[in-house]
Amino acid sequence: MGKLKPMSDSSVPKTAPARRKLSAGPLSAGDKWFFRSTSIAAYFSFVLVALVLIFLFLKAWPALQHQGFAFVYGTKWIAEDGQPLVMQIGPMIYGSLLIALVGVVIATPMAISLAYMIVFMLGSKLAKVFTTLIDLLAALPSVIIGLWGFYVFTPTAISWETTLHQYLGWFPLFQVENPDNAFRGSPFIAGWIVAVMIVPIVTSVTREIFSQLDKDLINGALALGGSRLSVFRKVILPTSSGGVVGGVLLGLGRALGETVAIFYVLQISFDINWGNLLEGHGGGVASWILSRFGEASPEEISGLMAAGLVLFVITLIVNFAANTIVNRSQPWRKN
Amino acid sequence: MSFAPRPAIQPWKRANNSRRLQIILATLLPGALSFLIVSSASIDPNLALIAIFLPLQIIAAGIVGVRAYGKRGFGDALLVVLTTFFSAFVLIMLLSVLLSVLSEGSKAISLQFLTQNNIYVSNTTSLDYGGVAHALLGTVLIVGVTTIVAVPLGIAMSVYLTQSQSKLRGIVRTVTQALSGLPSVVSGLFVLSVIGTFGFSKSGIFGSMALFPLMLPTVARVAEEALKLVPADLRLAALALGAPNYKAFFQVILPAAKSGLVTALLLGLARVIGETAPLLLTVNVNNGTSWNPFNGPMETLPAYVYGYLSSSFSSSHQRAWGAALVLLLLVAVLFGAARFLGRAKSMKSKPTKQKASK
Repeated sequence: MGKLKPMSDSSVPKTAPARRKLSAGPLSAGDKWFFRSTSIAAYFSFVLVALVLIFLFLKAWPALQHQGFAFVYGTKWIAEDGQPLVMQIGPMIYGSLLIALVGVVIATPMAISLAYMIVFMLGSKLAKVFTTLIDLLAALPSVIIGLWGFYVFTPTAISWETTLHQYLGWFPLFQVENPDNAFRGSPFIAGWIVAVMIVPIVTSVTREIFSQLDKDLINGALALGGSRLSVFRKVILPTSSGGVVGGVLLGLGRALGETVAIFYVLQISFDINWGNLLEGHGGGVASWILSRFGEASPEEISGLMAAGLVLFVITLIVNFAANTIVNRSQPWRKN
Repeated sequence: MSFAPRPAIQPWKRANNSRRLQIILATLLPGALSFLIVSSASIDPNLALIAIFLPLQIIAAGIVGVRAYGKRGFGDALLVVLTTFFSAFVLIMLLSVLLSVLSEGSKAISLQFLTQNNIYVSNTTSLDYGGVAHALLGTVLIVGVTTIVAVPLGIAMSVYLTQSQSKLRGIVRTVTQALSGLPSVVSGLFVLSVIGTFGFSKSGIFGSMALFPLMLPTVARVAEEALKLVPADLRLAALALGAPNYKAFFQVILPAAKSGLVTALLLGLARVIGETAPLLLTVNVNNGTSWNPFNGPMETLPAYVYGYLSSSFSSSHQRAWGAALVLLLLVAVLFGAARFLGRAKSMKSKPTKQKASK
């Protein structure tokens, strides 16, 4: 700073001095390296997504070029010797969506029930036990769920399906056109398996949101004479619906990408099963990739890469929407 | 409007003996009654569960609820019965998975099953020969390589998300979250494309590479939660004392968040240790033992289960169950360790709070 001058000095220009730049950046060299390396790690996530897209696209390009947009909505997959190669993934995309939808429809009531029990009904010790069990379910490898689904769950599920078909067979979803090929390996069973796998994720999101609800609001509603049911319907659900929808979407994203477990329990065939849930044929993009992979020619591998690319784009969109909704409904998580 | 005396409903009173009896009856009677009906009238048990047991249980609970709390008691009862029913469903399924793996798998488990490889084993070889040692080794090596790369990177990401003031944090968090939904088969295809593009040959290291995008987001997310739990005051105090950021991190935050970061490591391991599809696409299976993840085929536990399940011989299925049990035990150990450390952390944090309040 220079010498102080009296205010009246006319030689001082009237303009204000240039603003000092305020910055909270790192000062020492060590800090600069510290933040630089963490930023590189963070930006690596962009690089990773880009790399996955680029490499998939690179290998998928021949198939996409060959098939055009029909790859996504077409319904034929011919990869036998001596015939022109046709690869269109449409039925499998539909199958993935169908199974994921069945899974979500089954998993959502269960997950909401579990979250409600953990947050509002159980004591803190039991709640902790339940939370641990649900987290354990989330940690179970899908190959184990598939093994269990194939040996243990399928016989049980077939008896459920028989009952459903017997009493609700008039309902379009439970109709069976070909009795010889009914029940075993159906989208219904695959949907249940997927439900078992996505219950934990929907539960944990819902539980988080339930536990952050305003307790005064709930106690107030109870004090006004509401029953648990009316409080749940009129207070808890409306205030937490956004987050629950986000959690369900997260589960949907997980369900779309499920591979091995569905591969075991589902009878995969490349035809559209529009919604006969109890018939033993269906498919999914991921399990189709796995089932074709072993005997595929290089050209067909390219088609499978393209299928993977389509699956990745779909799950990216679903997950992005889900995370946006979940984050928006959990303002307390912002730091 | 009249103020006729209503029956005294006193929900604030503790349950007396007669109400306890009612509750016990309402819990036991519907089950017993529907069991009797099913066994005497030979009704489909599946149908009976939904069409007889559930309504009976709701009616019984409703009667007790109305007697105790008046009209609103019925809503209470309905919700309690339905949520318990659905929750029990999930828990029964979980127990069924665990029990069936334990009971079926324990038939195959023996010392030699854990210590031998499968070089001389065919589909019809009895269970007295061969084992999963080579698959266990392969899983440990492949997942180990993934861990060495993914954990430091994931923790660095979480440091970026919690310690830096960058404006890009929101986008980085979104992208990481989106990455956590990456289907495992797509990750395998990605690495397969890398292998094809550069003309490599399949080996264990590419399995590690395929597991990496699956492990990274899990580690980053859990580590971020762990770092958020460290009180900001600690870091600010260190900075105010003149410590540079990196020293504040390594000497103050890292020790405080250590157990949380180990939890991140363990949950990341549990996430990828059972992944099957990426390994099937990128690593060739092997019946012998291989110590070298950089060259040649390598067996892993999930691929072992997958391979033996696809065969149609019963001894092969036994092997698959046995390997599944080994895999389950691995996951359970990792998971239990993560829980234990998580609990130890919360017990430790109490004294620090007291110190801070002094």
